[in-house]
Parts: sequence; structure tokens; C-alpha cells
Amino acid sequence: MNTAVTTRATTGSPTAVPLGRRVLDAGPVLALVLLVVVFSLATSRFFTLPNAASIANQAAILLVLATGATFVILLGGVDLSIEGVMATSSLVTVLLAANDRNGNHLGYVAVLVGTAVGALFGLVNGLLHTRLKIPSFMVTLGTGAIGIGIATVLFGGQPPQLLDDGLRAWGTERIAGMPRLVIIAVAVLALGYLIQKFTRIGRYILVIGGDEQIARLAGVSVARYKLYAFVLAGTASGLAGAMASTQLGVGDVQVGSGQLFATITAVVVGGTALTGGRGGVPQTLVGVLLISVLANGLILVGIDPSIQRSVQGVVIVAAIAATAWTQRHRLRVIK
Amino acid sequence: MMSTPTRRSRLRHRWARRSRVGLACVGLLGLLAAGCSSASQDSASQKGPANPKDLVLVQAIRSLSNPYHAEWAKGGEMFAASVGMPVQTLTDEGDSQRQLTQIKQVLASGKTVVLNADPNTTSDTQAIVRAVQDAGGFVVSQWNKPNGLTPEQVGNSWVAHIGFDGNTGGYQTAKALFAAMNNTGGIIALQGILDDVPAKERFAGLQKAIAETPGVQLLDQQTAHWTRNEAFQVTQTLLAKHAGQVKGVWAANDDMALGAIQALRAVGLAGKVPIVGASDAVPEALQDIQAGDTGYVATVSTDAYWQGGAGLALAYQAATGKFDVATASPASRSFYGKEFLVTKANVADFLKTPTPTDLAPDFANPQARNVGPLQ
Repeated sequence: MNTAVTTRATTGSPTAVPLGRRVLDAGPVLALVLLVVVFSLATSRFFTLPNAASIANQAAILLVLATGATFVILLGGVDLSIEGVMATSSLVTVLLAANDRNGNHLGYVAVLVGTAVGALFGLVNGLLHTRLKIPSFMVTLGTGAIGIGIATVLFGGQPPQLLDDGLRAWGTERIAGMPRLVIIAVAVLALGYLIQKFTRIGRYILVIGGDEQIARLAGVSVARYKLYAFVLAGTASGLAGAMASTQLGVGDVQVGSGQLFATITAVVVGGTALTGGRGGVPQTLVGVLLISVLANGLILVGIDPSIQRSVQGVVIVAAIAATAWTQRHRLRVIK
Repeated sequence: MMSTPTRRSRLRHRWARRSRVGLACVGLLGLLAAGCSSASQDSASQKGPANPKDLVLVQAIRSLSNPYHAEWAKGGEMFAASVGMPVQTLTDEGDSQRQLTQIKQVLASGKTVVLNADPNTTSDTQAIVRAVQDAGGFVVSQWNKPNGLTPEQVGNSWVAHIGFDGNTGGYQTAKALFAAMNNTGGIIALQGILDDVPAKERFAGLQKAIAETPGVQLLDQQTAHWTRNEAFQVTQTLLAKHAGQVKGVWAANDDMALGAIQALRAVGLAGKVPIVGASDAVPEALQDIQAGDTGYVATVSTDAYWQGGAGLALAYQAATGKFDVATASPASRSFYGKEFLVTKANVADFLKTPTPTDLAPDFANPQARNVGPLQ
């Protein structure tokens, strides 16, 4: 017995996860399967290849955002600047690529710069949060507003149109039946998983989210790893802004409208605790699919549009309640 | 044992004191309200025509981040330039409380405020016009207004309300869409925010057109909350749901129509399925209509330049006494502005930015596009 425990501890094997926790982790997956079954039974149009592609396409941008946001939420923080960062990145990307406003035609470099702008926002978020000790929700609320402001100035009254056909193809065309943006999203997901699982950044973020004090006593540079988490989230938002622009064909301040709520819901419904320290990128994938399948299925089934939002809310609350009630006393998030 | 009654009586005492303070506050408020309303009943007309030097021109709109309101702001600037004054633009970014606070701040500046406002929601209109009435300014409101509330009921500071009949725009664009479909086939409809009055009216216009055209069926209708982003996603889902059956797309505004075009493009249908937007005439939609390769058939223009310029001009004329609010008829104080169906035939006229000379007749007579009293 003793040896077994020692072996586990030294190898860091995940088999030590208790049963209750495993049920908890499986909850969102069960909810997702249940939704898919219900919608498939309700309409023959749901479980088809074109509809799968449509769900994947709608989930793509949300998946990129949520993968980035997962790291900040794992810390016990939150990034509310998503929509503002997307707006600035969207305008920057379009104005640097071929567009109807100026003579730039930087092509893919424009997307890189747009993404870098996101990273810069993340860096500012992280620095303000760690150096000035301002709570993350306040910092990011502020920088998000700054992002919207910068985007509004760049917008100048009407949306600049993206004229680079190569970039626009990324938003609308498919490779082997899969929308191209989905391929990017899957790559981001894989990268996020690798970072979380196999790098010091990913592991330390979990440790800090679990208990910051212990992390500090153990000699972890808490401020530095927090900074990394915000940079990851910002970079993801920047990339998502550029992706949304290729999809809509314009640089738009409203490009991220509604994404903040969807992103945080996806991360939390997937099973990452808002208090930090528990969850991860795979859980976020489940959360993103849950939300996308729900939005898609309600339309296919033909639920009256005026009550769709409420139905979405009910299903999300039910999903959280069903996955969390067995462990209520342990979830510090329920206050 | 002792502590319970003591605490209870203390609580009761505190409650009594609180309710007394509350009552006093209510009473005081009542007095103030009564005092204000009697004092300001006709403060505007009592003062007589204001000296242009004491006026401050203000336009309150949602934001400068959408082309429609940006054009509105430019129209207001053109009018202000025509009378040699600056104009202050307030943007609320969709926040009703912020809009009201900003308006109250300029009202508190001491000058006579001449305001052309696009109230954020229907319930904001009353608060805005009453604030202006109490301060003795002049306000023209557009779009949102509670049913049954008229400028005459509030006072002479509420110069006029300009609305646009969504039924007409919804109907005309639907007819243009059906013509492009040879009056046969299924369509999908993208609605605005479902409890917005224009959203309801435009959809009613669409339904009227469908009832008149037996060959056309409404396959599905969903809300995309006026946004391009949501319209893209909703259209994508609807195209999967009704694969091969969608022969036309009707959207309650241009932004949603433009989002739908991207969704059509993603499945290789752009240019093959005609599409219309029932409002706004944003530049991108106009360009698409002119180019004709995306299937964009028609939109409706309320002429945002006119709304920004003529609305402000009407408030200004009331302030300077040229438009006598006290004797004006109800039909000249709540009316529909003119809407224009924009198709390939006349799109070139709407692609040009109007010059101050183009708008000068409307600045001189802001009522020129009064097409009838509000219903």
C-alpha cells in the first residue's frame, strides 16, 4: 500500500483521481451526449455531416477564445477584455491586409500583427494585475473598454472591408469538408493542451490556481506565471479577432459581441472551476461543444426564437447543477 | 430574556424611523416634482425665442462605431456648420443610463440645449424629453417612443418626434426580394431584437407581402439581434436545416443581411440566393447592390444624414422661434419621415455623401419629408 502510494507520488500518475471527482469530470460529457441524442431523435437534420460542419464552424472562434481563457480561469482570475481585444485585433488585421481604406497588403503578416496586438493586451493585463495588484476583473474590464475605444477610432465610421482573397478564403472555404477556421481552432486546442500538460507554464498555473500561498512558498514565481496566463489569453483573443474578420469580411468593432459571456460560460460549464486550480483545456472543448450544439439544436428543432435564450439559460444552469451537486460542499465557488 | 424585547423594540424603533425618513423623502420629492412641473410647464415658450449665442447644439446617438450613426453625426455637423455653431456629440454605447446622465450634464451647463436624440430604448424617451422640458431646452427625438405618449402631453420643449414606418420598409424589400425569386420558393427571415418596435413592424411588413404572394413560403424566422456576427451563425444553421430549399433571405437590417451573405458564401451560394435588408442602407450594402454579384437586391434608407441634420434643424428652429411649437399642429410634431427603397436602379444616388448644398433645403424646411402623422 505504502509502496503503491510512493510510486504514484513519484511518477505523478493521474490514477489517483478519486471516483467522485471522475464522475464530476464526466458530467459535462454526459450532458453533451444527452443533448446530441435528444436533438438527433427530435430532428433528422441534426445528425448529418453538413450540420456537423456548421456546428464546428460556429464553435471554432469560441474554442480559440475559450482555450486562452481557460488558463486565466485556472489561475482563479478572469479575463473580461475578450470583446475589446477582438475588436482592436479585427481592425488592425483588416487595415494591414489588403482593404478598401489604405494601400496596405501585408497578407498573413497582418494576421500575425493582429494576434500580437492581442498578446500585447494580455501583457498589459498581466502587468497591471501582478505589479499593481489590481483584481483581474477590474484590470481587464478597463483594458477591454480601451480595446473597444481604439477599435472605434480605427473604424472611423464605417467598417473597412477585407479585400485579400487569400485571407477571406480562410473564413469561408473548406479543406476536405472541414471549414478552414476549424483546422486553426483544433491546432490552437492541441497547442493549449500541450502547454497545459507538458510545460512548466501549464503546470505552475494549475499550482497557483490551487493555492497561491503554497506555490509561493514552494518558490514558484507567481507573478511571472500569472503574466504568461494573461498573455496566452490575450493572444487567443487577438487570433480570434483576426479569424472573425476573415469570416465576416470586414473589420468590425462589434466583431466579438456576445463572445465574452459565451466564452466564460463554455469554460465553466466544461468543468473548470472559477476559483481556479481545477479543470483544463479538454474540459473547455466539451463546454464549447455543449454551447454550440445547444444553440444549433434549438434552431433545428424549431423552438420559438423568443424563448430560445431562456431555454439556453435553463439548460446551462441544469448542466452546471447536475455536474456540481454531488460535490457542492467541496466547491468553494458556490458561495 | 431581557435582550430579546430590547432588540425587538430597537428594531421596531429603527424601522419606524426609517419609514418616517422614507415618507419624508417621498413627500419632498412630490413637492419638488409638483414645483418643477408647474414652474417649467411652459418655460420654453415663456422665454420667447432664444438668442443663438445662448444655445448649445447637441446630438445624442448610440455610438460612432456603426456607419449609420456616423452618418447621422455628419449630418448634424453639416447643419451646425450651416449656422456657424459647433455641435456636441454624445455617444452612449448602448447604455441607457449613460445616455440620460450625459444629457443631464449638458442640461446643467446653464445654456439652452438644442438636442436631436436617438433614445436608446422606448422607455428612455420619456425620461429624456422630461429632463429637457424641466431644463427649458428643445429636443427632437427619433425612432423610439412609447405608444400613446405625444409631445403635446409633455410640453413645448419636446418639439417633435420623428418615426419611420417599418411596415413599409419590410413590405417593399420583401416585394423586391420576391420579384428577384420570380415569386416562388422558400425564404428565411432574420429578425432584429424581438421586442423592438421597428423589428416588429418590419416583420409585419414581410408577413403582409408573403400573404399576398402565394408562391413564397416562410421556411423559418430567427432573431440575430441586429448583428452581423449572429446573423452569420444563425444563417449557417438555417441553411443546414433547410438545405436546398432556401431561395431567398430577408433580414430586418443591412448588418444582418451582410452576415447572411458570408454564410451563403461559405456554402457556395453567394450570388445565387437573393437577399435584402429592410433598413439602414449602410455603404457596404449599397456597394453590393451596385455590384450585383452577391445577390443583394434591395435595402431601405431613412437617410441618416437627413435624420442628423434636419432633426437638429427642427429643434434649432423651435429654439430660435422660426418653428412655433405652441401653435404647431400635432401632425407636425409626431410624424413619419420619408423612407426610400434602394435598388440597383437608384443606388448611385445613395452612394454619394450629400454636400451641405444638397441638404440646405431640408435644413431650411425640416418638415419637407413629413409623410404623415405617426400611427
